[in-house]
Amino acid sequence: MQIIKNKTNIDFIGKRRIALLLSSLLNLGVLVGIAIFGFNLGVDFAGGTLVEVKFKEPVSADAVREAGDKGGLHDLTVQRIGADADASFLLRMGGTTQLTADAATKAEGVVKGLGETKFVQKPDLDNGLLNFRMAAPLAPAEDDKAARAKAKAAIEAVGVGVKDVVRVGEAQGGGIDYQVQFAGMELKISSVLRQNLPGKDFEVRRVDYVGPQVGKQLRNKGIMALLWASLFILIYVAFRFEFKFGPGALMAMLHDLVMVAGYFLVSRREFNLTSIAVLLTVLGYSINDTIVIYDRIREEMARFKGKPLPEIINIAVNDTLSRTILTSGVTALSLVGLLIFGVGEIFDFAAAMLIGIIVGTYSSVYIASPLTIWLDERAAAQQSGGNNNKLKAKTA
Amino acid sequence: MDRNWWSRLVLVVSVALGCMWFLVPTYYSFFKLDRADRNNVKKLEAILPGWAPPAKFRLSLGLDLQGGIHLVMRVDTDTALNKRSERRGSQIANYVKDKKLGEVTLTTNPELREVTLVAKDPGTMDAIEKDVLATFEDFTKVKRDGASLTLQLVDTQISNFKQEAVEQAMLVIRKRIDKWGVSEVDVRKLGSDSIQISLPGAQDPEQAKDLIGTTAQLEFRMVDDQSTFVSDHYKAEPPSPESGITLGSYAGYPVLEGPDRDALLAYVKGKEPEGKQVLLECVEQEGKKEKCKSYRTYLVERTVPLTGESLVDAYASRSQQSDDPEVNVTFDAQGAREFGDLTEKNVGHRMAIVLDDLVHSAPNIIEKIPNGNCRITLGRSVGKTRDQRMEEALTLALVLKAGALPAPVTVGEVRRVEASLGDDLIRRGALAALVGLGLVVLFMALYYRVSGMVADVALVLNAALILAGLSLFSATLTLPGIAGFVLTLGIAVDANVLINERVREELASGKSARTAVDQGYDRAFWTIFDAHVTTFIAGGVLFFTGTGPVRGFATSLVIGIVASLFTSIVVTRLITTWLVHGRNSESVSV
Repeated sequence: MQIIKNKTNIDFIGKRRIALLLSSLLNLGVLVGIAIFGFNLGVDFAGGTLVEVKFKEPVSADAVREAGDKGGLHDLTVQRIGADADASFLLRMGGTTQLTADAATKAEGVVKGLGETKFVQKPDLDNGLLNFRMAAPLAPAEDDKAARAKAKAAIEAVGVGVKDVVRVGEAQGGGIDYQVQFAGMELKISSVLRQNLPGKDFEVRRVDYVGPQVGKQLRNKGIMALLWASLFILIYVAFRFEFKFGPGALMAMLHDLVMVAGYFLVSRREFNLTSIAVLLTVLGYSINDTIVIYDRIREEMARFKGKPLPEIINIAVNDTLSRTILTSGVTALSLVGLLIFGVGEIFDFAAAMLIGIIVGTYSSVYIASPLTIWLDERAAAQQSGGNNNKLKAKTA
Repeated sequence: MDRNWWSRLVLVVSVALGCMWFLVPTYYSFFKLDRADRNNVKKLEAILPGWAPPAKFRLSLGLDLQGGIHLVMRVDTDTALNKRSERRGSQIANYVKDKKLGEVTLTTNPELREVTLVAKDPGTMDAIEKDVLATFEDFTKVKRDGASLTLQLVDTQISNFKQEAVEQAMLVIRKRIDKWGVSEVDVRKLGSDSIQISLPGAQDPEQAKDLIGTTAQLEFRMVDDQSTFVSDHYKAEPPSPESGITLGSYAGYPVLEGPDRDALLAYVKGKEPEGKQVLLECVEQEGKKEKCKSYRTYLVERTVPLTGESLVDAYASRSQQSDDPEVNVTFDAQGAREFGDLTEKNVGHRMAIVLDDLVHSAPNIIEKIPNGNCRITLGRSVGKTRDQRMEEALTLALVLKAGALPAPVTVGEVRRVEASLGDDLIRRGALAALVGLGLVVLFMALYYRVSGMVADVALVLNAALILAGLSLFSATLTLPGIAGFVLTLGIAVDANVLINERVREELASGKSARTAVDQGYDRAFWTIFDAHVTTFIAGGVLFFTGTGPVRGFATSLVIGIVASLFTSIVVTRLITTWLVHGRNSESVSV
């Protein structure tokens, strides 16, 4: 069996300018889109709480949303996953603890009512902390535990869950410091649902709860990893091939990453740690594909010495065309199972991968190769320029 | 068949057998153990046949696949640091007063970590400045304005202190998890101010959060040295031999010792004299930060005269007289009064330092300690070097501070997956992967016929090799890890497509089957090699810089790349050479 019977002779490189222009525009569009609209960031990066619940009987997404609204969870997003009969939902809330700006005002009022306060610090909404200093201890040492439990109950009475009220210690210059640590948002979500959806039993299957700093750390680490990987690949390609091949491989890789990011941008699917895994996979695939084409170019360069680079690249791309189609096709084939049986994150993974394979194949021909040609031409122009200078120097 | 071929055959067969051997513990843990016991190394060891590799070489599932809790606790070092600068401020003021350098008033700005001293008599300030700066090396001068001197905590001290605060929090968390009796818990430092905890399997998340998230309890309790309860109870009701409980003596007093905390507590439960309670001390630890191996009893008073909340500071140093390691403890004003009373009443008795219901040590009270400053000297006990005792002093200081000045700990990240969801993911994931793999295998066999089937053999061996490799590194398989796995299978197929296309090209140019196969493989080699190395570089960088899911992906990728290089080049060539050269075939089915 053969896909391509005879050798093809398609002029791929001839259309490189149009392709490069279109790709640049598309990439620019995606980057601008990211700058303006941003991703639909999952809790992994944005911080917040994600709860997956599965009801024992069918419930509509609207009913869940309404129940949340009634319980004061106004920005709760509800997304059904899987079939209707599954009655599984992903519930998302910004904020990781129950200390929202609104809750903080209420809590502050309660704290001020506990006794004479020296000050109440600005609430730390990121970490769900409220520090305050009392003029005198809430109670003598032996009753301290009970007094703190009472303070906790008083704050919970206004509808904000508290994990603990901690005594931080005596303050210099008189007074005692305390800290209220607020309870997680997920408890609020499940208690609100339980209250407002009576008779609909559910189980909490998954909780993701990420503080804003952690999200930032995850993002910075990812970017650093990408930069280091790019640098080392550039060095290896320059060492194994020629330097002029390196930037092309890198740009092709970046192009593919941007395009796959574009999928997440346009589809508004959630961008989370699994999306990072997809980007990494596409990165690996993109490099692999580009190197295979480069290798053939290198071989043809040795065979047809003196031929212009664009022609050589055309020959190389044509020669490897059936391989390129086959490899992409076979890898796409392995995703079929994921596309059919996957739900939620697995489906997203497969769909984004499919796009990655398509752009990865395209970019090896239309991004990596034209850039190499351009660098080659520039080097040639500079060399002749350099010779001129030399001549001048000699005659002078 | 030349000798080279035979030696390669031996290599391939031994790699294949070795890989199956390494998969034995993984096989047993997935198919022979109950789901609940999947992480139980002891149970796995018990059922593993003698010839199998040790149980630790097994593939375990990540939290996203098997259910469990992943927690990141953030230590609120800023709040703790502000308190610290305030405390140091009053220490400086006290120092000035004690040394009679002059009269000063103190103001502090905890947010900037600044301390300002204003002297009553401006003439004394020069001497104060000189002395204070020489003594309190953790402060630098910010400005001096006549009678007013402003100091600030040094930056290096800040990072030291933050590190200490995180270590304290980790110490408390480790001790608590140990108490909980969960073995497979991984506690590690994450970044500068976070602690990562992984609790696999079906645990109660609320219990876990409560256990880890609450503040440490430090108590000082009196030890009852007169009581003969322990030896009486031992004689009246000898413990069962299986419990391993024995009667011994420590520091001249009778104690019970045993390896199992719960058994030891159950043995004395309800039998203690009125108003007394048995607490345990860890005698022997497995490694420095590992589980406790053996415990010893203390009979202490039920009443708690003093808690860690009155403690202001604790640090380890060497005694100026004897050079013995010691721990210096300072109490606040109220604590100092209570501590003075307590020590006055109990001279000659032992006082237990209890952190989270575990006795850490029980020093003897030598005399009344009136001013709230006390020293706990670690005497020359038998068989311990001075360095070991210094180490002990440092730990004791850490324990005291962990209970006294806990940096508030908040939950930064929780990922909890119910076991049932994990099972669901595995089922769907496995089904999807099998369908994908099946389609690829079928396609290769149809398209390249015999050569395609050869590639299929290599592909299956490749999959097995990756799993064995992951087991060898005791890796955990996560969802991103599976993604890496799928990618490497794709790359392995690509390598065989490259080879077969080359062989076809050579055949098309009129070469004989044997030459075509040899040249096809030779020509494709460098292409495959370069492609693999670049992907390997990307995987390696991700492995070293990434954490969590990214690292899981990178592990599969790196192992997969090495496996793919081996199977697609060595294994397929071995079989194809046999098919063409060995059988003296005139044609090759590709």
